[in-house]
Amino acid sequence: MIVHLDADAFFVSVEQALKPELRGKKVAVGGRQRGIISSASYEARACGVYTPMPTTRALRVCPDLILVSHSSGLYGQYSRQMFEICETLTPQVQRNSIDEGYLDLSPCGFKSSEEIEMAVRRLQQKTWDQLQITVSFGIATNKLVAQIASKLRKPRGFVVVPPGTEAGFLAPLGIGKLPGVGPKTEAALAERHGIRLIGDLAAGPEDELRAIFGAGWREMLAMAKGIDSGSVEIDREDAKSYSQQETFAEDIGEVAAIEQVAKRMIDELMPAIRADRKRVRTMTVKIRYPDFSQESHGRSLDVATDIEASFYPLVGPLLRAAWRKPRALRLVSVRFSSVEDGPAQLEIFAQADDKRRRLADVLDRLNDRGRASVVQHGHQLGVRPPREAPGNE
Amino acid sequence: MKFKINRDHFANGLAQVLNVVGSKATMPILSNVLIEAEKDQISLTTTNLDLGIRCKIKAEVKETGSVTLPVKRLATIVRELPNIDVTLDASPNHQVKLSSGGSNFRIMGIGREEFPPLPEFGDEKAYSLEQAELATMLKNVSYAQSTDETRYILNGVYFNFKDGKLSLVATDGRRLALTAKEMTVPAASAGAIILPAKTVGELLRLLDKGEKVKINFNDRRASFQIATDKDNSGLIDSVYLYSKVVEGNYPNYQQVIPKETHQRIKLERELFLQCIHRAALVCSEKANSVKIKLTSNLLEITAQSPDFGEAHESMAIGYSGPDLQVAFNPAFVMDPLRALTKDEVFFELKDEVSPGVFKTLDSFICVIMPVRLS
Repeated sequence: MIVHLDADAFFVSVEQALKPELRGKKVAVGGRQRGIISSASYEARACGVYTPMPTTRALRVCPDLILVSHSSGLYGQYSRQMFEICETLTPQVQRNSIDEGYLDLSPCGFKSSEEIEMAVRRLQQKTWDQLQITVSFGIATNKLVAQIASKLRKPRGFVVVPPGTEAGFLAPLGIGKLPGVGPKTEAALAERHGIRLIGDLAAGPEDELRAIFGAGWREMLAMAKGIDSGSVEIDREDAKSYSQQETFAEDIGEVAAIEQVAKRMIDELMPAIRADRKRVRTMTVKIRYPDFSQESHGRSLDVATDIEASFYPLVGPLLRAAWRKPRALRLVSVRFSSVEDGPAQLEIFAQADDKRRRLADVLDRLNDRGRASVVQHGHQLGVRPPREAPGNE
Repeated sequence: MKFKINRDHFANGLAQVLNVVGSKATMPILSNVLIEAEKDQISLTTTNLDLGIRCKIKAEVKETGSVTLPVKRLATIVRELPNIDVTLDASPNHQVKLSSGGSNFRIMGIGREEFPPLPEFGDEKAYSLEQAELATMLKNVSYAQSTDETRYILNGVYFNFKDGKLSLVATDGRRLALTAKEMTVPAASAGAIILPAKTVGELLRLLDKGEKVKINFNDRRASFQIATDKDNSGLIDSVYLYSKVVEGNYPNYQQVIPKETHQRIKLERELFLQCIHRAALVCSEKANSVKIKLTSNLLEITAQSPDFGEAHESMAIGYSGPDLQVAFNPAFVMDPLRALTKDEVFFELKDEVSPGVFKTLDSFICVIMPVRLS
């Protein structure tokens, strides 16, 4: 059996765990001045606050919203603890994101569905006892159905779909519950084809489905019938990318200032990459305008590297390629992908790189692998010290 | 302007110049070829501002003059014309009438005033070389140029006229190829340039048209005058290539060429190339290396990728040194082997972190850095 766990209003739950006086109130985590709401309590959601939503709008729809600013590093720590508790039940844990994941219980040797249910209930209780956060669970024979089940009765949801009842379980649910069906598709399906429930889709004649969904119709039909063969993947050790982003307190229009921020992000991400003994090849710079429209541009080096200086020359060109409109920016992010850890191609003119690597090694030790900022690069002078430890995706 | 020309000669001339066009968005004129008719020839010129090409073709000129036309389209049309005789007639408003047999085309041109002039050369250094020899030298090194735009200094071939020889060098920072030929280098004419990769490509394409090629260069530009005396498809005089050079200091390549010889083996080039090529068939982007192992009179090549499988090749060689093992990117091994023409090459190795060095009895060296196995 597969279990999907989904923490309820995760960031808010963590804040409430630390400050119990916030429980039962309209609380949201987000930046006050210019930020966006990244998590809202169920009481706040009842007032029309959703995520992501600009803070200013959230305060308009819910003037008595209690706004808590984002605590860096804290949520990652709780997330780790939550998944560690899951690992006491089964080693097969797939961390999908900071607040949700899948457990595969097949290696646990449970003999009946009652045993499984009991074990997952104990897990739900244990998470509450140890972390004071609530998590919703869905139990089913596959990932798709488990995921839909866990989101069905939040918060503190606990939905079990017995084997063989998947199609019947999904049939009365709205079509929008299927992954990949957003509000626009949902509306279009209802208006044009009269498909409102997952059951409508599962019962649809094949040629009609083919006409609506094109090449992907078989997958859609399989989903509607609750069929999914995806397996729980536990390669969480391997980060697929390293990224960092910053929303500015005030829009920034100067290229030099943005370049400085991007370079600082490189300086903060590289120690984490070196600590994981990885190298990266592709850098992507994303920018966001005040109206939330965004652009990104990426470029790859010939060879993967773990040295900051190799990426500095890309900052200017990538920023210019992404930042086309003559407007100030509210956000910039840097992402490294094409992560490698295989054999390393040696360089012919290696003296400069060797020196840089030795220097980086010393700096990493002084800066505690990116967790402190004892020594900074010159281009960071005049900027406030680094904010937070870089996160992995 | 009005002239009559042989269709195949015209098409051949356009084919010489049509690779060099600029971006249409910024300067539409750079997508055009400048056609100038004078006496008994027409000249065709294209440029992208970094690089320009001019060639001349014989034609029956009835009225001198000039016009510019979109080169790609024109070349396609000329190739397809039905009759061997082609007449081109340009009116003063830059409209061109192109006729051949029963085909008639009217094409919108742009006046020549907007066409950027090719650079004038002042006091530059000049050399004359055999075309075939320069082509061979370029082939022997050009694969090692870098395509990484962040290392623009390496995006070209380094021409160094110094100490009684011309050395050509290319490197991408992981391998370096060098070839040299002895020639008279007057002290006043000693000097070096980095010829951009695009120019190298065009030069390689053009270098089989005749006996000699003349090189002129200064700190900012280079030009190549390529004789067309072996050409019988209408080209006359020479093809001229004008190029900017990459400005900057080329890295000190002398210091990365190993001074000592450690273990040297003699290899049959074709056989070794085939073995590496076969072994590399199992490589993947993530596992892109072949391991070379030397033991007494035996060379073994292995490659593997975790999701596919592995390959093992062996070759008998003359070797009595210590056992050693080193891994390389297979392309770095194959590129020089493909470029060379000699039947035998020497390959020098030391250990798993030291470069491998290919040599021939000519002045050719290719240094390739290994892949360090984790």
